[in-house]
Amino acid sequence: MDIDLTAWQILIVKLLIILTVVPVGALIGGYVLHKEMAHMQHRLGPMYAGGWHGWAQTLADGIKFAYKEDIIPASADRRVFSMAPAVIFVPVLLLFLVIPIDRTLIIEDLDVGLFYLLAIGSVGAIGVLMAGWSSANKYALIGALRSAGQLIAYELPIVLSAAAVAMLAGSLSLVTIVEAQDWPFILWPPGIGLALFMLFILGAMAEMSLPPFDMPVAESELITGPFTEYTGMRFIFGFFFAETAHMIAFAGIGTTLFLGGYKPIVPWGPLEVIPGIIWFFVKTAFMIFLLLWIRFSFPRLREDQLQKFAWKFLIPLSLALILATGAWILYGPGG
Amino acid sequence: MALDHVDERLERARKPGFGIGLLKGMLVLLKHLFKRNTVIQYPEVKQDLSPRTRGVIALKEENCTVCMLCARECPDWCIYIDSHKETLPPKRKGGRPRKRNVLDRFAIDYALCMYCGICVEVCPYDALFWSREFEYAEYDIRQLTHEKERLSDWMATVLPPLELEEGAELPGQAKPATATTPAAPAPTQGATAGTPASTSSSAAEARPEQVTEAPKTPTAVPEASKPATAETAAEPAPETAKPTEGLKEATEEQQMDASATTTPEPAAKIDAGGGVAQEGTQAEVEEATAAETPAGPTSSAVTETPVAQPPAPVKPTPRPEDLEAPEAAYTRVVEAQKEAGSSPQVAEARAKVARVKAERALTQARAATPQQAAADPEPSGAAAAGEPEPAQGPVAPAEQDDPVPAQGPVAPTEQDDSVPAETGDEPQGAAEPAAEPQSAEGEQPEAAAEDPEAVYERVLAEERSKGSSDPVATARAKAARMRAIKGTLGPADG
Repeated sequence: MDIDLTAWQILIVKLLIILTVVPVGALIGGYVLHKEMAHMQHRLGPMYAGGWHGWAQTLADGIKFAYKEDIIPASADRRVFSMAPAVIFVPVLLLFLVIPIDRTLIIEDLDVGLFYLLAIGSVGAIGVLMAGWSSANKYALIGALRSAGQLIAYELPIVLSAAAVAMLAGSLSLVTIVEAQDWPFILWPPGIGLALFMLFILGAMAEMSLPPFDMPVAESELITGPFTEYTGMRFIFGFFFAETAHMIAFAGIGTTLFLGGYKPIVPWGPLEVIPGIIWFFVKTAFMIFLLLWIRFSFPRLREDQLQKFAWKFLIPLSLALILATGAWILYGPGG
Repeated sequence: MALDHVDERLERARKPGFGIGLLKGMLVLLKHLFKRNTVIQYPEVKQDLSPRTRGVIALKEENCTVCMLCARECPDWCIYIDSHKETLPPKRKGGRPRKRNVLDRFAIDYALCMYCGICVEVCPYDALFWSREFEYAEYDIRQLTHEKERLSDWMATVLPPLELEEGAELPGQAKPATATTPAAPAPTQGATAGTPASTSSSAAEARPEQVTEAPKTPTAVPEASKPATAETAAEPAPETAKPTEGLKEATEEQQMDASATTTPEPAAKIDAGGGVAQEGTQAEVEEATAAETPAGPTSSAVTETPVAQPPAPVKPTPRPEDLEAPEAAYTRVVEAQKEAGSSPQVAEARAKVARVKAERALTQARAATPQQAAADPEPSGAAAAGEPEPAQGPVAPAEQDDPVPAQGPVAPTEQDDSVPAETGDEPQGAAEPAAEPQSAEGEQPEAAAEDPEAVYERVLAEERSKGSSDPVATARAKAARMRAIKGTLGPADG
């Protein structure tokens, strides 16, 4: 049966998909976060909300935040203060536009998909600066500056590793990139693939201000850094949703770029029967697990250690990897 | 050169490779992710608390002599005690009026209490006990000051004392340097048993041995001889409170001076009257401290002495079907307690006690049923009857001193047959021999004819077979031996 929709209707459907899937995903992601963290720390995590092992915990948290009073500091810049969470959150939503769930299941298959992703992902930095500056709180400002510095520093490893992948695939379109991948995914090219993957993971964690790169939002340091003055729904949208949805988005992107997206893990007959969606979700779930696992394992880096790590190690390494990838393409087998 | 291998190992340990340490850290978390979780989800699930858990502190009022030691030693000053002295009429005509310290108020402020336990430790009369209860939070801080009544209620939740650990020195075991006479182990027991009462009793023991302490000995003797005879004589209950009290007073004052005294020479102990009296005292204190149930020394001393119970009317053995079922007892008590307004923990504890008593009564009734017809001595009857009544202890070599009265109304054995014998009174003991068996063995040897050592062995074996704990068994055996030595007749004496 063919459904004939006008462009407008298609647009609305697409918007609705994103607007439902992403928040629901963020809720589930938040619950997974609490439970995984708890069990890794030999405890139980949420157990009461909703009855069975606290499945409704994040939902309850969201509802609680909705009840909170919306406070804007008297000397804050009202318009900027109000817009900052939106500037942070909307780009995260937009990230989901180009992630392919299956060969034909993609909201918008842009030819410049990867470029679009990286560009949109950087807009968040502005939002953070807006939030910090407009709070009229010098500690929030310090947090905002730290955060912005961190985001800028760790953009490069992400961009460069994604660029290396695009070089290997020969296209910026995400679907093409997935199609170009074959078993064994990140292990190819040997060494380079794994290093690129690690670079991407570290950069992604810093982009999302996840520990060990969470200095800007560390409680004991700056309360919540740029978001110190935010309460209620602004806080949730700007901070929590953004972080969790961002995590899911990056997990999806990582799957697409490095793990083979919707392709089966091993090109083995019986496994091909399973639809690509399932593979995509399995791989994304693994990526989320990995991101969280790293998050729970390590203490945070100090701001200067963080910057040093990025500028003195990760970026030179990623530049070197670009060189290596280029060499591999030109002179290596196939490519 | 010599330590090169150590250096190498240190180097290797220090540099496991780049990032390996990070990976190891991550692996630890992964391991825990898949491990079985051991979280105890309070309040749905409660932890099994160790018996030595320090929860609330309970007060056994009858043991408290208002010495104020607990209030004084409490680092927080959270114990509030009020008392006044009363003068009681002299016990005998022409005696002096006796003063008694009466407890008016005993309160522990749990808002201040730091649960250090110094008060429990320091109380010389075992009036304070640890309980495992901790769920008594209040909305009003003033409710956290527990008064006498509430503290006594908490006694229901106190556990019976723990078994001694393996390798612990028992009171009956002789120390290497001192065992020379049959009575030798006695003085050393006090030193090894851990309570102040027994320590002071060993000190009490020490006193008469310093023969020079003549003034103390005579006072100790008449008071101490009271318990000795009390054990064997029929006396109403109030009487026995006095010897215990007298003993405690004696030991208290002796304890003060006893700190510098040396270990007594056992041989010197057996001076004619004093030594034996002290022995009896010792035995009684041994029993008292050894059988340290939450009932406390006083009541166990009371139950020790077969005479302790007032002449009780004979109760026919209840039949099993007439008795209350344990579960019914439990629910009945829980309801009654709730009506009375006790806290849940106390209600539960009392109900459990009622249930246990009902079970025991049932067991005894069942054991007694087949024996209703039999008139012979039955050790099994002794075993059944012996359990709830530690007071059967003093195994008198037959005569009229019978443990029968000690069993009180609960013992079912042969009660139907020996109805005339069942009065709790010693004076009637004369008719006994046929009714003997209970705690007494099957035989009715004449006390004087039996060798004291044989008496000792016999009683010890019997107590052990009944399941008494070692300190209790040895104490009773010794008491029996003493009576054999002295040729004391039964309860009719004194």
